[in-house]
Amino acid sequence: MDILTLNHVSYTYGRGTPFCVDALRDVSVGFEKGKITGLIGHTGSGKSTLVQMLNGLLKPDEGQVLLDGADIWEKPKEIRSVRFRVGLVMQYPEYQLFDETVRADIGFALRNMGTPKEEIDERVREVAGFVGIGEDLLNKSPFDLSGGQKRRVAIAGVLAMQPEVLVLDEPAAGLDPRGRREILGGLCKYREKNHASIILVSHSMEDMAAYCDNVVVMRGAELFAQGTTVEVFARAEELQKVGLDTPQISHVAAKLREAGIPLEGELYTVDGVAEAVLKLLRGEGKA
Amino acid sequence: MISDITLGQFFPGKSLLHRMDPRVKVLLAIAFIVAIFLCKYVLTYALILLFTLFLIAVSGIPFSTILKSLKPILFILVITTVINLLFTGGEGEPLFSWWKIRIYEVSLWRAGFMALRVVLLVIAASLFLTYTTSPIALTDAIESLLKPLSYLKVPVHEFAMMMTIALRFIPILIEETEKIMNAQKSRGADLSSGGLIRRVRALIPIIVPLFISAFQRAFDLATAMECRCYRGGNGRTKLRCYKIHFIDVFMLLLFSVLIAAICLGNRYLPGIVGWGYSL
Repeated sequence: MDILTLNHVSYTYGRGTPFCVDALRDVSVGFEKGKITGLIGHTGSGKSTLVQMLNGLLKPDEGQVLLDGADIWEKPKEIRSVRFRVGLVMQYPEYQLFDETVRADIGFALRNMGTPKEEIDERVREVAGFVGIGEDLLNKSPFDLSGGQKRRVAIAGVLAMQPEVLVLDEPAAGLDPRGRREILGGLCKYREKNHASIILVSHSMEDMAAYCDNVVVMRGAELFAQGTTVEVFARAEELQKVGLDTPQISHVAAKLREAGIPLEGELYTVDGVAEAVLKLLRGEGKA
Repeated sequence: MISDITLGQFFPGKSLLHRMDPRVKVLLAIAFIVAIFLCKYVLTYALILLFTLFLIAVSGIPFSTILKSLKPILFILVITTVINLLFTGGEGEPLFSWWKIRIYEVSLWRAGFMALRVVLLVIAASLFLTYTTSPIALTDAIESLLKPLSYLKVPVHEFAMMMTIALRFIPILIEETEKIMNAQKSRGADLSSGGLIRRVRALIPIIVPLFISAFQRAFDLATAMECRCYRGGNGRTKLRCYKIHFIDVFMLLLFSVLIAAICLGNRYLPGIVGWGYSL
């Protein structure tokens, strides 16, 4: 079952001017319910445009965007309700912080939704927990926080809406490895608790392999490939041709195999390769 | 979208006007405005109108774009026309009179002339300065034309630098505004409904981040300039050097002829042809 579907969607920036650019050309793609779908592609491949289609920030020139089977543009006046159901975290979301305290900023979306006051406070504390913002930071000004903390607060501000689908454009860009793990881990926790679906735009093939069930590949405003992570990464050569890569560890696995070490399975994560190597070593030990 | 605003938008191209020296274009824009105000007589207006049409044709800018650039002044245009039509008295029999309103033939002409003037003014300025000259070339031209003032200790270079930076940052700030608006809309911000006070309050989540990032950019830019040892105009050479070409001389001559023709026309044409009104 797909929670979000794009049906032959096309979009052109600056239509009718000499500066017009095709951002999406006849893209049809489905995002599976309850799964984490990765979205990869080169800069300018139309990822960010696609992401803005999903919660109705952009309206397709042609084609439809279906949320749970219903066209989101059926009632253009009620597009806001779609935005509450499909939470979008933009690239470098820390720029969106504005309120006096972290607490108020995270609660902004909830106030827009008309949530009762007591519930706002409770939910703010809950989502702050997901992204690792402690109780002591909630009363600080968001502008006194560090870059990484600002990022977490901004993500929490979207999580607070408890969206069914969470769309994140490079949520971990520019963070240190630990920050990456904590943020992406927090998102996984959120998904389990709320049975949400996640769409994750990233340049990191390692993150894709580690967190995503499915992968969608964009290239030059068109859909290049979609499938499960294993299926897509199995097409390593094609990916390299379009300037993308498979996770680094998969190269290590391939080289090991070339050297005559018979590793088993589809290996795209460090843990997976480690396990395969261990299995082999143990197997040899017994023999 | 905000970026649709044709706020003095440069229209890339290779037309005659595009290839002209920006300094000459600034001078010609001023000359053209003077020429518009010199016109006093139907036929001289016709002449300058024809000349404007010629410039539009030469520039290769679509006519629809030119018309769009007139949209912001529509209000001013209507007001000027109405005021000229109603409140400038005339002699003899009014063409039309009702209650206290009297419209004379002369005020009809005057209103028409006034409207035409405003329209031509805007078209000329946007044709020479914004549509066919990139903002960078324009500030270069202004700096070079104001150069003599620097002997009077006027900080011409700093002034031009400020203009360049301001112009350069307009598209960036527009883009940034759009990004922030999208982020807040994604959090359910409602920017387009409710009364005045609600709408103004709805702008806070956009203006605060915009100011913060604008200041941040300004600090970053200052640091970057200092890192490259920027210290004003003394001894600085130009990346783009402008030279006067044949086209520039040709256009200057053409304009001289135009202005001469208008002056002569104002003086002698009414006597020869003998119709129409002059102001």
